[in-house]
Amino acid sequence: MATPVIMPRQGQSVESCIITEWHKQKGDQVEVGDILFSYETDKASFEEEAKEAGVLLEVFFAEEEDVPVLTAVAVIGQAGEDVADLRPNSSSDTPAEDVKMDSTPDSGTSQTQQDAPLVEDSVTQLTTGDQKISPRARNLAKRRNVDTRLATATGPEGRVIQRDIEKLIATGHQATPAAKEGYLQAGQELTGTGLGGRVTTLDLQQSPVTTPSGDNQLIDNAYQDVKLSNMRKVIAKAMHQSISTTAQLTLHNSFDATAILAYRKQLKASQEAMGLANITLNDIILYAVSRTLLNHPDLNAHFLGDSMRLFRHAHLGIAVDTERGLMVPTVFNADLKSLNQISSEVKELATSCQKGAVDPDSLQGATFTITNLGTLGIESFTPVLNPPQTGILGVNTIEYKAREVDGEILHYPAMGLSLTFDHRALDGAPAARFLAELGRNLESFSVLLSR
Amino acid sequence: MPRVLNINPAEVRKSGVEKFTDIPINQYNKSIKDEQGSFSNADFLRIFRDMAFIREFETMLNLIKTTNQYADVEYNYPGPAHLSVGQEASAVGQACLLDKNDFIFGSHRSHGEILAKGLSAIEKLPDDELMQVMKEFFGGSILKVVEEVAQGESTKDLAIKFLLYGALAEIFGRTTGFHKGLGGSMHAFFTPFGIYPNNAIVGGSAPIATGSALYKKANQKSGIVIANIGDGSLGCGPVWESFNFAAMDQFRELWEEGFKGGLPIIFNVFNNQYGMGGQTAGETMAYGVLARIGAGITPNQMHAERVDGYNPLAVIDAIRRKKAIIENNEGPVLLDTLTYRITGHSPSDASSYRTKEEIQAWEDQDPIAAYQKQLIGAGIGTEQDFATIWDSIKATMLKVYKLAIDEKVSPRMDLNANPNGISELMLSNQTVDRMEDRPCTTLIPKEENSRVKQIQKKARTAEVDGKPVPKARMYQLRDGLFEAIIDKFYQDPTLIAYGEDNRDWDGAFAVYKGLTESLPYHRFFNSPISEAAIAGSAVGYAMSGGRVIAELMYCDFLGRAGDEVFNQMAKWQSMSAGVLTMPLVLRVSVGSKYGAQHSQDWTSLAAHIPGLKVVFPATPYDAKGLMNSALAGTDPVIFFESQRIYDIGEMFQPDGVPEGYYKVPIGEPDVKKSGKDVTILTIGATLYRALDAAKILADKYGLSAEVIDARSIVPFNYEKVIESVQKTGRILLASDACERGSHLKDIAQNISELAFDYLDAPPVVIGARNWITPSHELESFFFPQPEWFIDAIHEKILPLDGHVVTTNYTKNELIRTQKLGV
Repeated sequence: MATPVIMPRQGQSVESCIITEWHKQKGDQVEVGDILFSYETDKASFEEEAKEAGVLLEVFFAEEEDVPVLTAVAVIGQAGEDVADLRPNSSSDTPAEDVKMDSTPDSGTSQTQQDAPLVEDSVTQLTTGDQKISPRARNLAKRRNVDTRLATATGPEGRVIQRDIEKLIATGHQATPAAKEGYLQAGQELTGTGLGGRVTTLDLQQSPVTTPSGDNQLIDNAYQDVKLSNMRKVIAKAMHQSISTTAQLTLHNSFDATAILAYRKQLKASQEAMGLANITLNDIILYAVSRTLLNHPDLNAHFLGDSMRLFRHAHLGIAVDTERGLMVPTVFNADLKSLNQISSEVKELATSCQKGAVDPDSLQGATFTITNLGTLGIESFTPVLNPPQTGILGVNTIEYKAREVDGEILHYPAMGLSLTFDHRALDGAPAARFLAELGRNLESFSVLLSR
Repeated sequence: MPRVLNINPAEVRKSGVEKFTDIPINQYNKSIKDEQGSFSNADFLRIFRDMAFIREFETMLNLIKTTNQYADVEYNYPGPAHLSVGQEASAVGQACLLDKNDFIFGSHRSHGEILAKGLSAIEKLPDDELMQVMKEFFGGSILKVVEEVAQGESTKDLAIKFLLYGALAEIFGRTTGFHKGLGGSMHAFFTPFGIYPNNAIVGGSAPIATGSALYKKANQKSGIVIANIGDGSLGCGPVWESFNFAAMDQFRELWEEGFKGGLPIIFNVFNNQYGMGGQTAGETMAYGVLARIGAGITPNQMHAERVDGYNPLAVIDAIRRKKAIIENNEGPVLLDTLTYRITGHSPSDASSYRTKEEIQAWEDQDPIAAYQKQLIGAGIGTEQDFATIWDSIKATMLKVYKLAIDEKVSPRMDLNANPNGISELMLSNQTVDRMEDRPCTTLIPKEENSRVKQIQKKARTAEVDGKPVPKARMYQLRDGLFEAIIDKFYQDPTLIAYGEDNRDWDGAFAVYKGLTESLPYHRFFNSPISEAAIAGSAVGYAMSGGRVIAELMYCDFLGRAGDEVFNQMAKWQSMSAGVLTMPLVLRVSVGSKYGAQHSQDWTSLAAHIPGLKVVFPATPYDAKGLMNSALAGTDPVIFFESQRIYDIGEMFQPDGVPEGYYKVPIGEPDVKKSGKDVTILTIGATLYRALDAAKILADKYGLSAEVIDARSIVPFNYEKVIESVQKTGRILLASDACERGSHLKDIAQNISELAFDYLDAPPVVIGARNWITPSHELESFFFPQPEWFIDAIHEKILPLDGHVVTTNYTKNELIRTQKLGV
């Protein structure tokens, strides 16, 4: 009995995954537990193990293909078995709601296709289920960055055909509303970098980059073009979107770290059995932020254009540097957790990010983010906001500063903090007040702890 | 038909009896002594030697087939070997008096005839001419191989090795065979010695040899033609058609002086008394004595007689007498050469149909042993002499055998090195304006031809100044065909045309109107209603070196010429490795209005067979241009025409059909109307219904259709169609062929592959229903109508707002009808 290998759904919000590498090829013998293929979502990488033993009879998607979750990507069975019924019949860029393939031909007009209203804002109702689409329509959609799921099928038997995509294009559905006018007048193909591949106003401003060709090409290997990983593309998009869609600016200050250094020393000296020796300065800052943030609701918030969503608890995004690039897992409800709980949770999250095995659901939902470049000796920087969050705190290295106490110049360890906030959400003074309170709480950390 | 022949009722209704003359049976009774005036001792011994060569050649093949070795040298030959042990005297006796201008055609069992005719030609040809033949054939490549083992030998001995080796290498499928191993055992031949193709289809050589004899007569070439067929072939219709065709009364009654008399052909039946295992006399045939049937064909009984094929001198005597009859323009001749094959039909034959005693009785009369005994008795040779001949033959055979199985000197075609090795030989793709350079025999100058003069007055477009031209004054499609054809008649002296009712009647559809006044009978005549003989003789005419237009009045009659079109016309260029060309245009008229057996479009059948070019023009411009191309090439072309549109005018060439010569290349479709929303590709007369459909699409649905006329079916250039599909994303294909198995399905499949990523819907084919063609009044339910195009587009390609279908093009209907086989 041939068994399909299904692309797992890694988290509720994940619609599709990209197959990055096949470890087994069509025709290979596989045992239970053998790694079949690696894949990644927008945010993380995974490996899929064989759950059945047998022959890898068919592979439906190649490397680099974007596969809807819960779609059959391969079939394991005995040599000679027919796999035709298991072959996904939906196009690869549409999500399959159900893995059961409908092999009976539809008669008459569409039953599988819901009418998709053509609405002008970004909240569009997407069609669900298998989508029939002609090769020509699919190509056109790809070329023009049109989301085929928005199309209303008017072809025979509910097939999306060329004119359906053309209609979407004519109504501006492959560009953001702001970029629509410019796009329709552009008269040339543009690569959209906006949501869902929509063309943004920024895309309109950028002229196409031409690559040298023919005789003008450099003869020696003066440079190497390296393809961006999916992750890098996601980061690039997110960062650029952040910079281009928010009004961010950064405040810098520092605080006297004498207290937290002393406290950290105590922890290190504590008995191993207590398991507190690994609490880091960063954990201490997280703890302080979680307790301070609730006094500054505009910074524990999402800016939604014409409204602000203020959160009752602090969900802290933690920037983690990994081989693949920056990842930001979330410590949910940090304000309710002890220092030790926060510390161990951060370590777990960081480890799973390094391994590429993090739960994608933990990669979102943060209300405020902390990023630490202090360990790398950075004295101050301007962290980039993670919209729709309104603030992000950069933690810097410790420098010795001098201050006058009773006419005497004293040196003390000062740790730098850089707060980037969205000026659309709040003004400079409230942001500065948060930074000041945070510094105070850290300077008297034991007091904060006992609260 | 001809008015000069009056059918007088008083004459034909008169009472009387028809008398037959006696049919001679084995009348030859001369001894060696009696013949010593006719043959030298060397001749007698050479006759023996030639028979012994054949016996050894066939024995060698039998040993290879049954024991995988000959003279202790192993070889595995899996191919066919229809051997003629026992028939050597018949073959050698026949060839003895023939020279290279006498052509023989054979059967599947013709190794012996090839060797006999070749040995005879070698004996007669002067050494320098012999050398020239060997040097020029395939650039001397066969000669080069045999020269290695024939150093210091005489030219004739070298030529004998050349003959044996060329034939054996051909049988073994080697590139050094007579036609590069592409013919093999049953199709071997060597035209420089007058050995024309043998044929694996029983009786297949009868119509082809008839055509070759027609070539000799119409072009006044010397020599006779012999069709070697077996007694089993007397059960085949095309053989009887050929007897009659070769003997038609018109040759005596109507053909011009210098061309009078039946065709110069001997239908020689090597009557070995079995058709495979079927015993002809006594079981499967009814003639009793085979020679009797000549009396059924012509008043002169085809000069038929039975000769003793076990006595080479009896056969020589018969050929001498029959040759004289033919040279006296009294052919054709039927010869019943009685013989017996000791070996089976093939080496796998268990001889379950005959007794050992019967075989033994014939072996006791072995023709070679018997002849040897006679010669010894006459003092012409001693036992020792004959033993020496046998030793020499066996030594020669072993040398040739070793060469022919040597992979180095006799390689097979290397299709890895050149994957196109065979495809390059499928068609000759050349232009030869005239097959011979000499004046054309015509009756009047072309300018004086009444049709030519009439056409000059016609408007060469369908409309003039926006107004339709009346039919009588309009240049029609049939005029386009006529112009191309009459041009070629005044250019190529070898061109002849025939078919049913071509002369006087002007062809059933008036394409040939006026041609009769320009051409003598020997270039343009009426054939009997014998489609197999029409097509088969045209094949023989073309392979002999002449250009020919044959006609099948209705496409539906193609079945009657099935073997001749599909196995002969299509295959001889490639089976001969390009030695032969096939400048044959077979005009095939597709009917309508005349019901189930006169209204079928069978283009798909023709398209399926490799080796044919297939065209189907639908406009006067294309008809003339494609006919010019067909008549300028040397490839076999099935030229389909539609009876629906013989009278159509030129609607697409704004300047009309050019008066001068031009060619429309075979293989290029043509965009008849450009558009952007949907492509419609048609074959033949369906074009005009597609244009009507395009108008409906534009008027009612605002869609602009691009209409492409395939014009040619094989070869076919997809580029123009793909370009169109890339633009429109949609294609509907239509023709009058029945939808199931329509060649358009093949084209549609190729388009799916070639333009998949551009398609907005699957390519959809519409065709006639998978029924019989009903009466004319019901034909609109059978053949594609403009509305069907719209329905199919609406249902399968692009739903059309407000369209109400009149036909059912749903998937369910497709499954239902296919399930029912209708």
